[in-house]
This record gives sequence, structure tokens and C-alpha cells, in this order.
Amino acid sequence: MSADRADRADRAAARRARTSPLAALAALAALCLAGDARADDEPELVRMRFFERGTQLLISTSLTKLFDGAAYDRLDSGFASTLVIRAWISPSGSGDPISFQLVRRRVVYNLWDEVYELELDEPSGRRTVKVKYKAEALKLLTSIDGLPVAPLAKIPYVRHHVLAMIVELNPVSQETLAQVRRWLSEGTGGGLDRGGSFFGSFVSVFVNLRVPEADRVLRLRSQPFYRPEPKR
Amino acid sequence: MRAPCATMLLLLGICAVAQAEEAAPPPAEIDPGAVAEQGEFGPAIMIEDISVIGGGSTRRELILRALPFAIGDVLSAGDPRLRRARFKVLALGFFRDVEMSMRRGSRRGRVIVEILLEERGTVVLNRFWFGSSTIAPWWFGVDLSERNLLGSGISVGGGVVYASHDRVANSDDQWAAELRLGVPAIGGSRWSSFGSLTRLSGSEAYQVAGPSNDTSPEDYRAFRYDRTTARGGASYDVAALARLSVAARAELVDAELPLTPTRTLDDGRVISTDLHLKDGRSRVVSATLSFDRDTRPDLALPTSGSRLTLSAELSGRALGSSYDFVALRARYERWWPLSSAGAIGLRLGGGAILGRAPRFDLLDVTDLNRMLAPRALGLLISLSSPLNLLRTASDKPTLGEAGGAASAEYTYRLFGKSSRRIYGGALFVSAGLWGLSEAAFPKIRDRGIWSSLPIDLFIDAGLRVDTDIGVFEFSLANTLGRVPR
Repeated sequence: MSADRADRADRAAARRARTSPLAALAALAALCLAGDARADDEPELVRMRFFERGTQLLISTSLTKLFDGAAYDRLDSGFASTLVIRAWISPSGSGDPISFQLVRRRVVYNLWDEVYELELDEPSGRRTVKVKYKAEALKLLTSIDGLPVAPLAKIPYVRHHVLAMIVELNPVSQETLAQVRRWLSEGTGGGLDRGGSFFGSFVSVFVNLRVPEADRVLRLRSQPFYRPEPKR
Repeated sequence: MRAPCATMLLLLGICAVAQAEEAAPPPAEIDPGAVAEQGEFGPAIMIEDISVIGGGSTRRELILRALPFAIGDVLSAGDPRLRRARFKVLALGFFRDVEMSMRRGSRRGRVIVEILLEERGTVVLNRFWFGSSTIAPWWFGVDLSERNLLGSGISVGGGVVYASHDRVANSDDQWAAELRLGVPAIGGSRWSSFGSLTRLSGSEAYQVAGPSNDTSPEDYRAFRYDRTTARGGASYDVAALARLSVAARAELVDAELPLTPTRTLDDGRVISTDLHLKDGRSRVVSATLSFDRDTRPDLALPTSGSRLTLSAELSGRALGSSYDFVALRARYERWWPLSSAGAIGLRLGGGAILGRAPRFDLLDVTDLNRMLAPRALGLLISLSSPLNLLRTASDKPTLGEAGGAASAEYTYRLFGKSSRRIYGGALFVSAGLWGLSEAAFPKIRDRGIWSSLPIDLFIDAGLRVDTDIGVFEFSLANTLGRVPR
């Protein structure tokens, strides 16, 4: 709807950045100071299609990058795979989300019927689908086709907005993570080192095995978009 | 002067713009993992068999016991228990990775669960002691554990520390050794048990002259002692993240105390010194009840969750002890994420000793002030006195009956998982107040109330690196505790 104008805005911003060597130097220093931490959290800019239907703003995009070879192979392991998608819209340059959408998609391979059974929980309700081939299952899991992301009434005309999305494959709950870390942590074992170990800020981690918060994570950010004012 | 200021403002501006451009995080109350783990779906299956591949010396029963399902169970293929199974096996700590899959069983609806294990070394370095001080030119020690003894799941560990001695009169080289045994999740239940045997041959320095912050070896004298301690106990997991423990301790102390320990003050007065120990042989027999609840998802570099620990230890003649005392200790910490990389934590901890406890059971200043070297396996290895940053009492005690600390810490995740062995690193800055009192606050003072208060400040800053063999900390306080001063 407004991609061209948004592109022009992006290019203008990029030109402005190029024109100032001091700003570039400062940006580099800022990146050195603060950027490292977010290097692996930095959302990837992905072109998404926005459109209106009824009272809703909808998007279409693809999430196939979430699956690598191993994750794809695991789809027929007989164990369930779950995708949790969190999407939210905020005005460009602001940190306050004006809408939030949560989507869960699950798939499990039925070893005896040799079909993939999918359960898709979306704003419109729950759908269960059975497909024969793994590629079909992958497509159903990773295609976002007309997903409602916000009521139009929440998105004012003309102002630029951005959609951000975090997609996780088999995320682990905070409670499970805490349990695993606890099981792995060392108790006092009845040892004598009472003081430091009691008041100290540290627990000695017995077997320091880090369980990732999800098998795979994709962080996406859309191009800026806006709603044009309706023609009179 | 203006140019640096302008550059700083520009940097801050860019940081602010960068923050603003970054889309805000989704609602914090939504835990995607909890969303993923809700509800069952998929076809009904019956577990016909469980096949374990690659477990090495680890007994198959040990792995089967850890699973949240068993042979013969009927459940749906999307049951959350099947997903949790992987973490249950990982949590044994014996494997680097666990892969699970299913294949068809002998009849329709039946499946065989296959567990593919990648073993890891189970000998772990728990602690490493080293440093130098005015009373011990060097000390060195190591604490190791074998978590999976002969594939049985029983953990065995132990540590040894040796500290040389210097010019403190009557001092000697010190050593300590400890052997520990632990049986986690006995028979797959919520019970676990632990025990330890510790032997110390120590030489405890006490001050005989000079001001309190003086660490000259000439102003100290030492007495020799031996301690032999046996501990044993059991823990019960009252909830997934909460544990109740009971423990018993029997300790023999053999101390060669001076006849009349005294200290000569700056003004020439001579006062008697309480060494909080009985001369010759004495016993400490005690029972401890403790509770621990820990909801921090990440223990090494926490950014959320909380931990509460409460402990009460009772020792008395009725138990056969030479000392009558009750030791109460508590600590609480809580973490709040501030951004994708930053978090702030609050820590509170304190204790009170009621009655006549042996000196080794009193609150030690090194327990509360991170800028001092803590005892190594119970041995006193440094005399460093706390810095008087707040200009409060200059003669703060090193051992006390009541004390505590409160601190705040800001951490900033510098990098995430950078390799299979390095999980992450965080910069941290912390500051807090600590206080330690020998007895009730004196009603008669020869100084103002502020300069009589036994409280002070501690600060720390550094880098923590989380690796697969443990957490390494490079910090100001850690350095201060390892060098003579």
C-alpha cells in the first residue's frame, strides 16, 4: 500500500547518514559500545505485504527461513513441532505497540496413517489439517497468508508504522528452563563452605549445560508502512 | 571541552534513536514456551518400547527413570510430556545432546521411542582457589566432581586447599580436604540425599595489636586447630522449583588456644579477646532445616525470576554439642529485564546467630563484602580489612552475630552464544551496603552515631563469561580478594 513511499524515506535516511562522517564515526562507536549485545537479536528486515479487509489490517509473508535441514528432518520424527508467532505493530520511531497478535501452529507425523496432522490456532479460530507430504506441512506451517494483525481503527491514517515479529520453533517455557537449570545446579552437597556459598551471588553450576530457549528463532521487521487517507 | 561533550551527546542521541527505532518487545506476560506446551493433540499412541542409543556407561534404567512416561503408557503424539522428556534426560547432566524420535511398533497405534544420546564428560571443575595475602604468600586449591559415578547417577566430589604461612607468630601451613557424595532423585522420586566428610588443619590468625584495619602480620598471632566434620541430609522437591532440606552435622574441633588472648589497643589499653572457641576438644552437633525456591531461568547470567533461601540451624547440649546456638540465615534476590540485553537485580541477605556459636559458625565479613577474599573450604587465608568508604566505624568486626547485605546489580549482555562451549558474556556493575555487628549496637559511645555504625559500601564491576565448564568472573572484587593489601 505504501511501500514505494516508505522506500524513498529509507533511502533519504540512508543518504543523510552517509553525508556526515562524524555521525558515521559516532555510530560506529555507539555500535561498539552497545551494538554487540543485540547482534544476535537484531531483527531482519523482510518485505511484507499489507492489505485491508473489512475492519482488519492483514499481512502476508513467508517464514521458511525458520527451518534448517535438521528442523525439517525432525518433522517426521513422530514428535510434535510447534511454531509460536508473536507479531506486533508500533508507530515508526516509537516503542509503544498498538496491537499484538499471537499464533500457534503445531504438526505431528502420524506414523501409522503416514500423514502430517496440523493444528493451526489463528485469530479466526482453530483449524486441523492433514497432509500427505512433508513439504506441504512445511508450507502450511510457515506461510502467513492474510493474517489479521490489527483492527484498522487502531492505525491512524498517514502515520508510518512497523510490524515486528518473533517466530520460535519449539520454544521452551520459562518454567521448564528454570527446572532444567535447577536440576543441573549443584546443591551444597553438605560441604563446609557455608558462608560464601550461602550469601554469595553465585551458585556453582554443576554441569553447565545451556538449554536454548527455542530450537530456532527468527526475528523479523517489516518495511515501514502507512494507511493512505481515503479518497473523497 | 565542547567537542567531547558534543560527541558524547551525539553518541547518546544515536543510542536513543537506535532504541526508538527498535520495535518494542511483545507483551512480557506472554511466555511463548508456555503457549507451545499447552494442550494435547495428534493421534493416540501406546509406548511399546523405549530404545536407548549411545548412552555409554550410563545405565538404561537411569534414563528410563528420568522420563515422564513409561512403557505401556497411552498418550497423544502431541502430549507435552513427550516434549519434556528431552529436557528431563538433558537435565541428568550426563549428555551433551539428546535427540528423540519414534518408529512404528509391532501393532497399529504402538510406537517405539528412540533416544539418541551424545555423551559428555561428567568430571566437572567446581571451584578453583588461588591467591596471595599478607598471611598466606600463596594458596591454591581445586574442587572437582564426578556426576555420574560408574554410570550409576551417583555424584562424588571433593576439594583440596593448601595455604602457606608467613610471619604471623605461631602460624603454620594450612590445608583442608573434603569428600562429598550425592544421590539425586532416589529411585526416580522427589527425594535426594547428600553427605560429606571434611578435614581441616588450620592456623587461625587473630589480632593482638594495632588498629582494626591493620593487616601487618606483626600485629597478629595464630592458634592451631583441627576440624573433622561429617554432614548428611536429604532434600525433598516440594514443587518443581522449590526444595526443602534437612541436614545433620557432627564436628570435632581440637583447638590449641592461648591461655589469655588479649589485644593492645592504640591508646595502650589491653583488652581480652574472645576467640569464640573452646580450648582443647569440643563438639558441634547440629540439625538444619532449609528451604529454597529458585525461579530464575538462567542461574549463571540471570535476567528474570527470583530466588529465596531460608535456613535455620540448631545446636545444643541436648544434641551432644559443646555449643548452644541457633543460626538463622535468609537471602532473596530478584531480577527484572530492562531491555533485550540489560537487566537489574536486587539482592538481600542476612543472618543472626543466637547463643554461643563457635567462630567458624559466626557471620564472616567475607560472606557479606564481596571485595574481600572468602574462606577457602573454611580456612582463613586473608586478613584484608574492608575499605572504609562511608567513613563509618573504622573498627568494624570481622566476625559477627548479626549482619546482612543489600545490593543492586545492573548487567548488560555483551554477547550471546558464540560457540558450542561459550554461552554468553555480560558486563555487570553492582553496589551495595553491608553491615556486621558483634552484638547489640552499643548504647554508650565515644563517637557520633554515624562513625560508630558497623556498615559500609561495596562495589564491584567486571565481566562474567558463561561456559560449558562453569561461570568465570573477571571483576574488581575478585581481583582485590586475591592480592595482598
